[in-house]
Amino acid sequence: MKRLFIALFFALGVLVLAGNAHAQAIVIANPSVKGTDVSKGDLKDVFTGGATSVNGSQVTPVLLKSGATHDEFLSAHIGKNDTAFRAGWRSLVFSGQATMPKSLDSEAAVVEYVAHTAGAIGYIGKATPHEGVKVLAVR
Amino acid sequence: MNRLLVGAMALALGAIPAAAQSLDDLNIQVHGYAAQGFLYTTANNIFYANSSDGSPAWTEAVLNVSAQPIPKLRIGVQARYFLLGSSGNAFVLDWAAADYKVNDKFGVRFGKVKTPWGLMNETQDIDPSYMWALLPQSVYDITTRNADLAHYGAVAYGTLKLAPSAGKLDYRAWGGEQVIPADDGSFADLIAAGNGPLSSLNYVTLGAALHWHTPLSGLMVGASDGHANKASVALADETGPASESFTEWNNVSYFAQYEKDKWMLAGEWNRQASSGVQNFTDDPSASIDTDPRAWYVMATYKATGKLTVGAYDSQVVDHELKLGPDRYSKDWTVSGRYDVNQFIYLKAEEHFIEGTSLSFENSNNTVLKPSSKLTALRIGVSF
Repeated sequence: MKRLFIALFFALGVLVLAGNAHAQAIVIANPSVKGTDVSKGDLKDVFTGGATSVNGSQVTPVLLKSGATHDEFLSAHIGKNDTAFRAGWRSLVFSGQATMPKSLDSEAAVVEYVAHTAGAIGYIGKATPHEGVKVLAVR
Repeated sequence: MNRLLVGAMALALGAIPAAAQSLDDLNIQVHGYAAQGFLYTTANNIFYANSSDGSPAWTEAVLNVSAQPIPKLRIGVQARYFLLGSSGNAFVLDWAAADYKVNDKFGVRFGKVKTPWGLMNETQDIDPSYMWALLPQSVYDITTRNADLAHYGAVAYGTLKLAPSAGKLDYRAWGGEQVIPADDGSFADLIAAGNGPLSSLNYVTLGAALHWHTPLSGLMVGASDGHANKASVALADETGPASESFTEWNNVSYFAQYEKDKWMLAGEWNRQASSGVQNFTDDPSASIDTDPRAWYVMATYKATGKLTVGAYDSQVVDHELKLGPDRYSKDWTVSGRYDVNQFIYLKAEEHFIEGTSLSFENSNNTVLKPSSKLTALRIGVSF
């Protein structure tokens, strides 16, 4: 029984650590985007439809459809949950002020899209491989 | 016909670069939503519906198609079916526009475009975007909103970053022609009396709006002023020629909104004073001057990830009318919205209304009582 508890405790610890590692969202951008960092205000503006440029580069945001990384990014940088976030975009779309950003199924798909699309900016978990994109520090 | 041409030109200009690209590159998107409501009032009938018996006559469905052939250019069109009581029950063009955004400081939309006055006019008909079943009716009257929503012409817009300690400033400037269809809710009582307009009421409109996002995170304050040129329209009348005329008038709003954590607070003051006359052969020069001064304050709280609750106080007093319940409307509202998932939502709302200045039309009430309660329920789906 004791060994079972230890095994369960160990497994739980691994799951928690793995979850945290996955949920630590980082911001990635196509290499064409200028600079190595982005202000929190500019990042929020871009992902809520309020701006289309970062560091003088025109950018296009790309989203994850759902998941821990998506929720963590919204919570840390946008200050909204998924429902409120999408309601904000819908009000822009239905009033003719913006086009809904692309939403992709996986973090690998986000990396692939950002790497091959000039001006694209997205977010992924820290542990996700991200060849071909630059990481923007959020200041 | 001119207006159709404007819309067609806007789409055609957008389509020129689009034609050179494959469909995949155009970023074509289709979105829509549908909402069904239910109205029940304890006393007077509201919104041209038999609401004192309970009425489901509150339906809308919207289809939106847009494309972005190049990063700086978007084109789009949106159509709507709308039914409210005995009004509407028709498909209308919400907007059809091309939008060229040079950079964050300057862009322009043209075609049939949303008119950006006040805090919420651009989104007042977009049910999925807010928690209320009904926005504060003192400023955003659902029965006459067609006259405010959009115009044929252009909107210039942009965001100016101020000094680091001064926040940023969003500006909007618009101009064009406002068109109020002959069957619009604005004319409901005239139509019921057999004196409906013989054509649409058209007038030139100009305006500007500023939204200052202050250095205090989450606080925005703003103002807008829309100017309407004089206008007139011929009315139906069996006894001879008849008409309705308005002098120039302004639509002025001051507003503020503060968002922090799970809270949102907002308020707006609005005045739309206009001077006009109705001329009938057997009753010449009847004054139809109005001076409604309206305001509301509201608060919402996100109780859980799916549930948002809120309340507002919405009031309007028409200073051109005599003392009595017809002169004012005071509406205390409590409301809740539950998002089942990212597509489906439910809304429930209770209004405690004093006065009959708004929404209780003479044409569907024999005797108007000075106070009434309204229960408004709404279910919607969007994609």
